Amino acid sequence: MNVLELKRVSKSYGSFLAVDDVSLTIEKGAILSLLGPSGCGKTTTLRMIAGFTAPNSGSVIINGSDVGHLKPYDRNVGLVFQDYALFPHMTVFQNVAYGMKYRGIAASEIPARVARMLGLVRLGSMEGRYPRELSGGQQQRVALARALATDPQVVLLDEPLSALDAKLRLELRLELKEILRSVEATTIVVTHDQEEALSLGDEVVVMRDGRIAQRGSPTAIYNDPADRFVAEFVGRSNWFNAGNWRDAANGFVNYESVAGISICGQAKPNTSGKVDLCIRPENIDVLAAGEPATMDENTMPGTVVDVAPLGADVHIVIDIDHGPRVLAIQKSGSQRTSFGVGQSVRIGFSPADVLVF
Amino acid sequence: MKADKNQGILLLPAGALFIFLLALPLVLAGVESFREFTPGRIGSVGGAPLTLASYAELLHPVYIQYFALTYALSFISSIVAILVAFPIAYYISRRSTPTVRKGVIFITVGLLFLSHLVRIYAIELTFGSTGMFAPLLTALGISMNSREYIYFMIVAGLLQYSIPMSMLILIGTIQNLNPRLLEASQSLGTSAFRSHVNITIPLCVRGIVSVFLVSMTMGISAFAIPWILGRGRVLFVSNLIYSRFNEVANFPSGAAISVIMIILCVVMIYIVSRVATLADRS
Repeated sequence: MNVLELKRVSKSYGSFLAVDDVSLTIEKGAILSLLGPSGCGKTTTLRMIAGFTAPNSGSVIINGSDVGHLKPYDRNVGLVFQDYALFPHMTVFQNVAYGMKYRGIAASEIPARVARMLGLVRLGSMEGRYPRELSGGQQQRVALARALATDPQVVLLDEPLSALDAKLRLELRLELKEILRSVEATTIVVTHDQEEALSLGDEVVVMRDGRIAQRGSPTAIYNDPADRFVAEFVGRSNWFNAGNWRDAANGFVNYESVAGISICGQAKPNTSGKVDLCIRPENIDVLAAGEPATMDENTMPGTVVDVAPLGADVHIVIDIDHGPRVLAIQKSGSQRTSFGVGQSVRIGFSPADVLVF
Repeated sequence: MKADKNQGILLLPAGALFIFLLALPLVLAGVESFREFTPGRIGSVGGAPLTLASYAELLHPVYIQYFALTYALSFISSIVAILVAFPIAYYISRRSTPTVRKGVIFITVGLLFLSHLVRIYAIELTFGSTGMFAPLLTALGISMNSREYIYFMIVAGLLQYSIPMSMLILIGTIQNLNPRLLEASQSLGTSAFRSHVNITIPLCVRGIVSVFLVSMTMGISAFAIPWILGRGRVLFVSNLIYSRFNEVANFPSGAAISVIMIILCVVMIYIVSRVATLADRS
């Protein structure tokens, strides 16, 4: 059953259309990531669900009833702000208990419930502390506990991990997911961080210029992006502009790219004019000058510009002869990482890995 | 350590000036307050014996009434100033456009520069016994010569300054407040009004207390406002000090009243600050 539904929602500020005819549904207990660059309308969408911004048209439906006319405090929507917005003059206990009394939970039940919420976010011993006495990660968890404390119908997280440093972000991301799963919270995570979106969401909605560019599973968004924008925004990508194409067999065609480089890729139904070819860096093999390529692979010669060993992966930047600069990501430990800067190499990639837009 | 010492030296000129211009005259006034006064003389005689007489006479109910009235009217105007200034300041810092905000701040600062006397006479012209409201008030049976009406006029006079001043201070306080806090409160089921009571006001306690103290200090030291609007029937302590020094030439008495005023002020600031610290846990 859909807990939340947005029906053709639009919001404009003056002549600026922040959210343009967005429709969206989310099932009970699912986590949906709303991903997009700043200004794409994701935060406005979130604020319309919370009730802080009124849509110009369309409706916001929670559990079957239109909440468009309801004030934020009359909707049961939990909100975790980017800066947490913990009440600085209240202890952790008071912060978490704050919503309970206004949502009709008996006073006698509150202490036990607060303890349960703090246990859930593993802050059981912190209830007497003030927010300023907590680390960023702890504040984040208090904010989550406070939002979940009132048993909201929908939980909205606005860039929940962006204020934390990289290492903590990874830890908390998993914890956040576990907590949200354990309480079966129907959740929307708004983020501009693609990794956060892909790892947290059961489904990802990519937004651009107030519209939904693509909705799909994290794998589908990455492997089968709807357009160049999504492909560029989610993950890293190498691009070749191509024009003419020649027939080839088995659903593949040869595209003429810059400087006479021919690239074989999947045929697009309407590849009549110019196309953009995208190859993910992990799908590129770096071959030594004399090394033979796998059959059918696209190959092109180039020169190594940089080799960066980043732990599990090695990032190799290569200037294609008379072509663009590409990034290839190789697993550490494979023999395809021992290249020196300035070395002549070839890159190879399978036609099946060429995304055509 | 050495650097600290050198930095301390830089404070010397300012410190010396401060002591010379501010502390020294106050100390001399303090000493004068303990001198014996001979009626008919101007000030105390050089080397007059020390006495507590000037302080003892302040215990007379008449004097206590001066103090009580000064504090009471200042208190009322300070509270009214907060009640009026807070919502306006909130509106300006949260709801208005930048242009409106700039405009209001410009006008408010302008109001503060307006001469005291102009404002006082403006009130007299409006609400005084010959003012435009006089016929209406008389028709309503309000006596314009009653003490209560004079109190009203004086409070109005004090508000002329304290409302704009309070607004400017509170705009700063409210702008420092994270607007997300109020949204967080509302998303947790608390009405907008209740959220202000729970969140906005406790977090603005510091600003509200500053406003209260500045209004109070301004009020209890007011001179021209009670002098003119009080029509000689209602006087503040400042007027009393003036008459001691200038009309009766009883310098020791005037000095003693001043010293008491300073002590009362310090006590008030201490108590209010303590209360504010207890209330403000942020």
